[in-house]
Amino acid sequence: MRRLVALVVVFTMVPMSAAWATDLDELLERGQSATYSAEQVISCSTPDGVRDAVVNIDQAGGELRVTSSFADDVEVSSGAGAWSLSRHGGLVEEMVIDAGNSNSELLYTVEDLGTVQFLGREAMAFRLLRGDELRAELILDDETGALVMVTTFEADGEVYCERRFISLDTEPPALAEKFSTAQGTSPSPVEESGLALEVAGFERLDHYEDEEGVRFTYYSDGFFSFAVFETPTEVSIPDPTEVVFDSGSYERSFTAGQVMFVWETRDGGMALVGDLPPDLHETVLADMPHPQDPGLFRRFWRALFG
Amino acid sequence: MIHPSEMISAYLDGELSWSEHSQLVDHLERCGRCTAELEQVQRVRAAVRSLPVLELPEGIVPEADPVVVPLRRQKGLWAGVAAAIAVIVVAIAALVGPDPGSVSIDELSSRFGARVSLDPAFGPAKVVVPPAVIDG
Repeated sequence: MRRLVALVVVFTMVPMSAAWATDLDELLERGQSATYSAEQVISCSTPDGVRDAVVNIDQAGGELRVTSSFADDVEVSSGAGAWSLSRHGGLVEEMVIDAGNSNSELLYTVEDLGTVQFLGREAMAFRLLRGDELRAELILDDETGALVMVTTFEADGEVYCERRFISLDTEPPALAEKFSTAQGTSPSPVEESGLALEVAGFERLDHYEDEEGVRFTYYSDGFFSFAVFETPTEVSIPDPTEVVFDSGSYERSFTAGQVMFVWETRDGGMALVGDLPPDLHETVLADMPHPQDPGLFRRFWRALFG
Repeated sequence: MIHPSEMISAYLDGELSWSEHSQLVDHLERCGRCTAELEQVQRVRAAVRSLPVLELPEGIVPEADPVVVPLRRQKGLWAGVAAAIAVIVVAIAALVGPDPGSVSIDELSSRFGARVSLDPAFGPAKVVVPPAVIDG
């Protein structure tokens, strides 16, 4: 019996190389092209308190459109390298990225948990383990491949974030416009970056710079990801909390599913934006340029000339 | 860690009590940020003190009684005073005012969101929800 159990574990714990485990891979691929509408609840337990959001998701043609359940006038669209934020139908922020390296070396092992019921529908459950640590549980709708529930964990097994569909409608949503008409800023991919190639298991995938001199570098471990920004000026975040690590003092702010750190160096402002669980924050930041006081002269210069 | 910024000016003015003084000195030994802030305030004060003292040129109001001189008529003097005030205001603005060229989190979210959407495998798990949506 023990031998049989061991055999089952070997077959279900499939190390991922170029792709996810077969079933999960197929479902994710199906989910990318699926058409559906859903209501999603996001709840994250952060060191600064709980961060919640309820959003409506419409997906069609590889594009996700997110709207607030509480504010009809706000809409986020995301897909194929484009992202936009609109209010009252008017564009607030828009960004288009032309290129990117999606092939990161995957650090995770997939554990197939089998079939479950979710929202009264057939679904498949999986676990993602990084080394021995459980990092995520995924439930995917069997028919559409939609990721109907995602739970992410800290290293000690505590739940960090949960994103759960509370409704799923497979009728095609009405998406008004496509990103093909988008006129957003397009930062250019560049080769040079002074940041580390690998940080706490996260691989540096690509690096961009825009006309205003804002550079950002994208890291991923195949599931979690973050971007590091280097800006000529400081970065402001809402309701910051000051945190001190061995590498220095930072300002931190959480939204539902996203963490932001900002700090200053002699060369300007820096920020990290990503979906990292809190236990990875200090490790990742330790490998970035450390906080430094910008100096009096630089402050004067910024105050006078921006 | 709480940074007692408001105590730094009082410290330099010698207005702290003995216990507050000890508390701040202990903190400064451990906190690079406050030490840097102290040094900056000291530098600003030194810079302001080093501004030239404006003296009324001889003969400009030869017969006037200094007590009743209508100073507003001395344009050169007032220009100097205004310049000194402007320097002080800029110094204070540089130290405590908002950075006029700061980057907003919406701009960063848009870049991160766009890049994340190139890795579409986990769509609903990765979509970036900015504060604007959450706050409503």
